[in-house]
Amino acid sequence: MEGRSPWYLAYRRLRRNRVALAFGGLFLAIVVFVLAAPLWANQVADTGPNDTHTLEKVAVDGETREVVDPEGKPVGPLWLGAGGKFFLGADGRLGRDEMVRLMYGGRTSLFVGIAAALITTLLGTGLGLLAGWYRGWTDAIIARALDVVWAFPVTLLGAALGLALAVGGLRIGPLHLSGSSIWIPILIIGVVYTPYVARPIRGEVLALREKEFVEAAVSQGAGPLRVMLVELLPNLLSTVIVFFAISIANSMLLESILSFLGVGVQPPNTSWGTMIAGGFELITSAPLLTVVPGAMLLLTVLSVNVFADCLRDALDPRAKLRLEAHAGIAEPEGTPV
Amino acid sequence: MRKLQAVPALIGLVAIALCLASCSGGSSGKEGGTLHGTYATPAELDPTVAYTAEGLTAMYDTYLPLLTYAHADGAAGTKVVPALAESLPKITDGGKTYTLTLRKGLKYSDGTLVKASDFAATIERVFKLNSVGAPFYEESIVGAEKFARTKSGGISGIETDDKTGRIVIHLTQPRGTFTNELALIYTALLPGDTPAKDLTRDPPPATGPYAIAKVEPGHGWSYERNPVWAKTNGKLMPDLPAGHVDKIDITVVRNKATSVNEIERGQSNWMQSILPADSYSKVKDRYEGTQFRVEHPINLYYFWMNTSKPPFDDLKVRQAVNYAVDPAALERIYSGALVAAHQILPEGMPGHEPYNLYPHDMAKAKELLAEANPSDRDITVWVDSESPNDEAGAYYQDVLSKLGFDAKLKTINADVYFQLISNSSTPDLDTGWTNWFADYPHPNDWFQPQLSGKSIAPIGNTNLANINEPKLTAKIERLGGETLGPKQEDEYAEMDREFMELAPWAPYGTNTVSTFVSSDIDLDKVIFNPTFGQDLTSFQFK
Repeated sequence: MEGRSPWYLAYRRLRRNRVALAFGGLFLAIVVFVLAAPLWANQVADTGPNDTHTLEKVAVDGETREVVDPEGKPVGPLWLGAGGKFFLGADGRLGRDEMVRLMYGGRTSLFVGIAAALITTLLGTGLGLLAGWYRGWTDAIIARALDVVWAFPVTLLGAALGLALAVGGLRIGPLHLSGSSIWIPILIIGVVYTPYVARPIRGEVLALREKEFVEAAVSQGAGPLRVMLVELLPNLLSTVIVFFAISIANSMLLESILSFLGVGVQPPNTSWGTMIAGGFELITSAPLLTVVPGAMLLLTVLSVNVFADCLRDALDPRAKLRLEAHAGIAEPEGTPV
Repeated sequence: MRKLQAVPALIGLVAIALCLASCSGGSSGKEGGTLHGTYATPAELDPTVAYTAEGLTAMYDTYLPLLTYAHADGAAGTKVVPALAESLPKITDGGKTYTLTLRKGLKYSDGTLVKASDFAATIERVFKLNSVGAPFYEESIVGAEKFARTKSGGISGIETDDKTGRIVIHLTQPRGTFTNELALIYTALLPGDTPAKDLTRDPPPATGPYAIAKVEPGHGWSYERNPVWAKTNGKLMPDLPAGHVDKIDITVVRNKATSVNEIERGQSNWMQSILPADSYSKVKDRYEGTQFRVEHPINLYYFWMNTSKPPFDDLKVRQAVNYAVDPAALERIYSGALVAAHQILPEGMPGHEPYNLYPHDMAKAKELLAEANPSDRDITVWVDSESPNDEAGAYYQDVLSKLGFDAKLKTINADVYFQLISNSSTPDLDTGWTNWFADYPHPNDWFQPQLSGKSIAPIGNTNLANINEPKLTAKIERLGGETLGPKQEDEYAEMDREFMELAPWAPYGTNTVSTFVSSDIDLDKVIFNPTFGQDLTSFQFK
């Protein structure tokens, strides 16, 4: 009888989970939506995300309307009344197309989320592996460094770093990032979440290093690097994947908070966070300017979080059982999984 | 019969009395009560360090200089009048010596006597605290420059006599604006032993009709009537108003929409900050004339271009930008609160004569830029994060991009923005947004700090365009030594055009502010002084 790999089994479990499929599908739909931004901007709206139209007029079903009225109020959603232009209305007194900015803003938010999550995962996994494998001084130094980061509330630390780097940017040797570079919030978010990944990975490594297969590899003469990369890392992969997925959602949320506070993505570049901040001032007269990017952010974060949860269940079904047992809802022992 | 005759007589007397009461204006309305106001940000509560609009409004009726600005709206409010001094200064020695006499018997709110030597101590404190007001006196008063460096030894150009109350100020050269500068809040007298530190958390004793009674840092503060005003100071300065309300409670409410709601619900009587863009038109439509009024402080909003480096060292490039910027679009971005203007001197400033050298013409702008063909098109646009200035910056960046520049927007937190753009070591200072509110209504206060070559400094630079035109700098210096009159006003108007021909800025308008009060406050009586904003002594309950 042919053996099934744990990855295949996980895939099968995931495929059978309708919630996972629904939220995974929702996430994919959002990705497709934001990737279509240039198409919508060029073919339908005929404007870029940062193009201003303050004094322009738009024809809606034969009637001419001002994009921004003399009192600074932007035109509301025109849906398809102007051939797709200003589908969701204008974004404020600059008269930029809200739909175009929503799509481009989503690209930025997703890019920041994924890139920051990658940094968090790589840094967290690397540091967790080193600390867990070497223990002793290495562990102590890494743990204390992580404690320093952990000691600050994430938002506060992110905002402080964002403010400090907003002017002069970041210069490390030949690498120079200007203060308005999108990589500044990415790096900040990636770094501030690192302890949240490194700590549990370290814990897992501490447990794994005592296992027989690790002892066997060491007794066969495998060096630390080989043990870490070939023996430990594959066994951590399911945890790392789940952390990566959760980090995407967390990073997107933090990006929106930092952008709302003015220290994240810098204008005129747009992200859902900057759009929420921009629309907030007009919340009573044009609530959609805040609600729509907020809803997009909510749906994306929700879809990633739920999918990550399902992924964890699929990769490590025992974890689900442990959780349910902890909550007192576990099935009787011996029930087949 | 006699009774019948007496009734019409009585009615007549009552009618006459009522008529007199209404015609006099001053006696109607309630005296007393507590005024509840809101600020969007905390104010500086120490006259030596107060420089924001919030701080000036908070200090106007609390701390008095030797001279002050008349408690009146509009042009009448630009007139300098005596406050702690008996009269306006006697100017001798070709405009280099100013002599004033302190009114006898004045007291601080803690009961100590106001002395002439307190003036010298106050000016010294300006330098010890590196007050924003220090540059007004550093070069003009003899010995001030040395004191600014050493912070000790006194200022030789200030002579005081506590017995006679005589104060003599010697200037290094004639200065036509010095009378105005003696009316700035930085020179408001404080006791000679006032510590040289920012006393916002524990304000020093006051000389004005109100004194700050309590401060909750970051949350608010309250005023009560100055205990020495009614018996002493008020009688010695009868031309200054005493105020109608007994107490003023100020709360810091960061959300301006909340302040609007509180006024509408009668929970608050006044908001110092401007209205949020979202509510502006609604409030204006609903309450203009009864609870809302548009005010016109003297100010200018503009984009500066660094004339000392490419691409803005090229006149054609700067002119192109001026043609490309459309003040009408910016009017809309400021939700109608901005009045478009495209010149140096704003409305309300002596010497202002409206004109526009650069009517919006994008085609002409592109033509000029093509002629200039700058090799460096990679520019940074600086703007602060306050709305709608940030949007003005985004608009400007878009305009520059449409002109063919690779313009990057740099949005900086408003708390540190001016500090950064006034420091020449900040990289990429190419162009950006700024505004300027008049310290006092004199055109020299406009040209000298912002456009004189002598104002270019590595730190605290106020000539953001770094324009250094020797002839015009000399003209600014010459006019600065003369007393302002019709001839000087004409020359300032001419200089306005001369500078705009050089196009170091792309001005786009003057911003209005608003007075919004609750229905139980008499709006007609609320005074908005062009320098200090709302006059707290003018608030009165109906």
